Amino acid sequence: MTFSLLIAQLINGLQTGSVYALVALGYSMVYGIIKLLNFAHGDIIMVGAYMVYYAIASFALPPVVAIALAVLVSTLLGVFVEKVAYTPLRSAPRLSLLITAIGVSFLLENGAQLVFGADQKSMDPMITGSIMLGQINVSYVAIVTIVVSVAIMILLSFVVNKTKAGKAMRAVSEDMGAAQLMGISLNRTISMTFAIGSALAGVGSVLYLCAYTQASPTMGSMLGIKAFVAAVLGGIGSIPGAMIGGFTIGVLEALVAAIGFSMWKDAAVFLVLIIVLLFKPTGFLGKKIQEKV
Amino acid sequence: MSNVLKCEHLRVVFGGLAAVSDFNIEVNENEIVGLIGPNGAGKTTVFNLLTGVYVPTSGVITLCEKDLAGMSTVARNHEGIARTFQNIRLFKDMSVIDNVTNSFNTRMKYSMAEAFLRLPRYWREEKAAKKRALDLLHVFNMERYAEEKAGNLPYGSQRRLEIIRALATNPKLLLLDEPAAGMNPAETENLMETIGKIRDQFHISILLIEHDMSLVMGICEKITVLNFGEVIAQGTPEEIQKNPVVIEAYLGKKRD
Amino acid sequence: MRKFKLKTPVRYLINTVLIAILWTVITLVISGAGLKGEYYRGILITIGINIILATSLNVVCGYLGQLPLGHAGFMAVGAYAGAIFMKSTPAAQLLRAGNNAAVIPYIIIAVIISALVAGLFGLLIGIPALRLKGDYLAIITLGFGEIIRVVLTNIDSVLGFKFTYGASGLARIPKFTSLNVIFIFTVICLFLIHVFMKSRHRRAVLSIRDNEIAAESVGINTTFYKTAAFVFSAMLAGIAGCLYAGYIGSLYPSTFKFMKSIEILVMVVLGGMGSMLGSVISAIVLTALPEMLRSFSDYRMVAYSLALVLMMLFRPKGLMGTYDFSMGNTIENIVNRIRKGKVKTEKKTEEAKA
Repeated sequence: MTFSLLIAQLINGLQTGSVYALVALGYSMVYGIIKLLNFAHGDIIMVGAYMVYYAIASFALPPVVAIALAVLVSTLLGVFVEKVAYTPLRSAPRLSLLITAIGVSFLLENGAQLVFGADQKSMDPMITGSIMLGQINVSYVAIVTIVVSVAIMILLSFVVNKTKAGKAMRAVSEDMGAAQLMGISLNRTISMTFAIGSALAGVGSVLYLCAYTQASPTMGSMLGIKAFVAAVLGGIGSIPGAMIGGFTIGVLEALVAAIGFSMWKDAAVFLVLIIVLLFKPTGFLGKKIQEKV
Repeated sequence: MSNVLKCEHLRVVFGGLAAVSDFNIEVNENEIVGLIGPNGAGKTTVFNLLTGVYVPTSGVITLCEKDLAGMSTVARNHEGIARTFQNIRLFKDMSVIDNVTNSFNTRMKYSMAEAFLRLPRYWREEKAAKKRALDLLHVFNMERYAEEKAGNLPYGSQRRLEIIRALATNPKLLLLDEPAAGMNPAETENLMETIGKIRDQFHISILLIEHDMSLVMGICEKITVLNFGEVIAQGTPEEIQKNPVVIEAYLGKKRD
Repeated sequence: MRKFKLKTPVRYLINTVLIAILWTVITLVISGAGLKGEYYRGILITIGINIILATSLNVVCGYLGQLPLGHAGFMAVGAYAGAIFMKSTPAAQLLRAGNNAAVIPYIIIAVIISALVAGLFGLLIGIPALRLKGDYLAIITLGFGEIIRVVLTNIDSVLGFKFTYGASGLARIPKFTSLNVIFIFTVICLFLIHVFMKSRHRRAVLSIRDNEIAAESVGINTTFYKTAAFVFSAMLAGIAGCLYAGYIGSLYPSTFKFMKSIEILVMVVLGGMGSMLGSVISAIVLTALPEMLRSFSDYRMVAYSLALVLMMLFRPKGLMGTYDFSMGNTIENIVNRIRKGKVKTEKKTEEAKA
């Protein structure tokens, strides 16, 4: 493998990694606040992707409208799911909540199969062309994807660390009871978290479509799992962690594929996850929590 | 009189902060020793060091002249240290009697295979365990609760069950972490009797953390006072009560 | 008055008789159903496999209180181990010749091999995985499950010989899983779980679920018990896999995706974690329900997932909670209640006389 090929693969990896990172953020934020592995998150991306597909391929709307539509629908769907399925179970055993999330995920997948059809929908690429950087051919899609995700992550860090809503989120994830006593509205803060996470999923779906130009009812499940792995790898609840995790997985996949083992890339991702968790159970940037005795 | 527990220069550091530094104590056979100090003084941390929940940064813990370094909580329990917890940690969804019989686990010898095949030893040991658990419950007047779910017991009984559960492991040293917390004076009185009874009937040593001074002064033969992780005084209840350093730690410095 | 109590041998006798009756009823119904019998037989065998899967996961999930998401991996390992063994025996010819009795020793060996291989994998995975807790354990076991699947898909290309036949599937496995076979092994598996949970080991496992730190403080070797329960559960899943291979006749790695693990978990949670009866019932319902909904074909999976969400919303503790059924106890309770009633009426009549 030549050096320029390696760099090209790395850029490929960073591109996929940015999508993982965006989706991972949604997992990470939701997990941080209500300790739920939100299985339905991946399927929200799927719905977002269908929105883009129909807006552009069927109704020939301008891409900006399609993107806005995808983000809007994802956000509303995320908040709707939270209100209807998760809020009533806030005091129930955590496993029941998890099963509910799985149920919602099934429902979205099977519902999509019914509404959109079981086949894959392919569309023309939204962004074409590439640029030569020295010896290396870099597609515009890759550049846009990486730049957009990094920009979003910086923006999100700002929101979470500096704004009032962000502080409320961190307070709730630290201690729900105490946050409530401080006058923070639990319902509003949790919904806000879901809204932001789902909006990011919406953006993720657009970027995904830019790269793969295909939508199918089951596209969300593996993408979701990988993104969750990214979140865990980076340290759940941490924004830079999700980014590092996402990029790690993206690059890892690209490299494994580059050396001719593309069939093994899922195994490689999980193997790395297992090794990291065994040596650093909280991921790269996760906080260590010791149970008080 | 030989000592059951001996700690020498025990020290533990968390993130640069010494939670306990230079802790020394001796607990003799059949002795009740109190460990007191203001909130956050490091009393529970000492218990966690003794039971192997935390690993000391330096220092030596010996139980009946045996060094406990490197032993897990489980191994230390097998050596003879049993404890209760400040926030009750019962097996809430199990019956009271199962909470107690569970403590016999390591001393029951039937294997997995014997359990699967229901060989005679299984029946014999299960029967004996049940009887011993009931006997223990009887000592503390808890027999009638045997089949209740532990989580449904009233608060005082939960505390007592935790003590019974610890006793059932047949310890040489029993550590009680604030046994009277949340009890009214009558219940505390009752508890004092119980603790005395435990010592006499089971011939063990007891180290207890307590804020209730009537209890501590009433039953402890020796008292160690901790403040900011350091031992500030050691002696009999009378000596401790008169010790100006202790009074200062609890009430603050007298202003002139 | 002394309470009515059943002696243990009597309890065993009652249960044996009940199982025999159940077997007779099933056999009679199936043979009486004519052509449709084949269809029902298939459903019943699937139910049996799912019962073993659900109750075995319940050991780790319900009793031990951990959340593993790689159960399908152990099932896969057991299925491939059993299938590869059976293919190397003359079982296929024997079955074709109708000599079912001669296959029995092979079946027993296959099941034992599957259990051992799956148990070995359980040990290898359990030792590192069980150091983590909660969702971390979930994600790490999910990872292991996926790795097993990827390895099964690609191992042939690495080793260079025909072993699992990768994605194209391991076909022509002798179909040895008859209704009788599945019935017997389901009963055996349920019995094994039952006796495991009626010993000192049950208390140890439950105490770890309730409070791990306290369990350690009373000398319970938590590492040993967690690993033991995990391995035990994996072995049973391996048995289920082996029986599945013998029923379906051909294996594909894609069958054992993590969705399969999720499906099993759903059965356990829906039934009520820590309730063996719950796992059994929900395994039956969740296997039969999609079949019954077959006429709605398109809406079937939507209805299924909707049922799942609604169930959790309205009964988050699952169908049975932690309630477990015991025929012996039920009979005792009924008899005691009747006696009590009698005593009361006698008292009343005495009072009335006085």
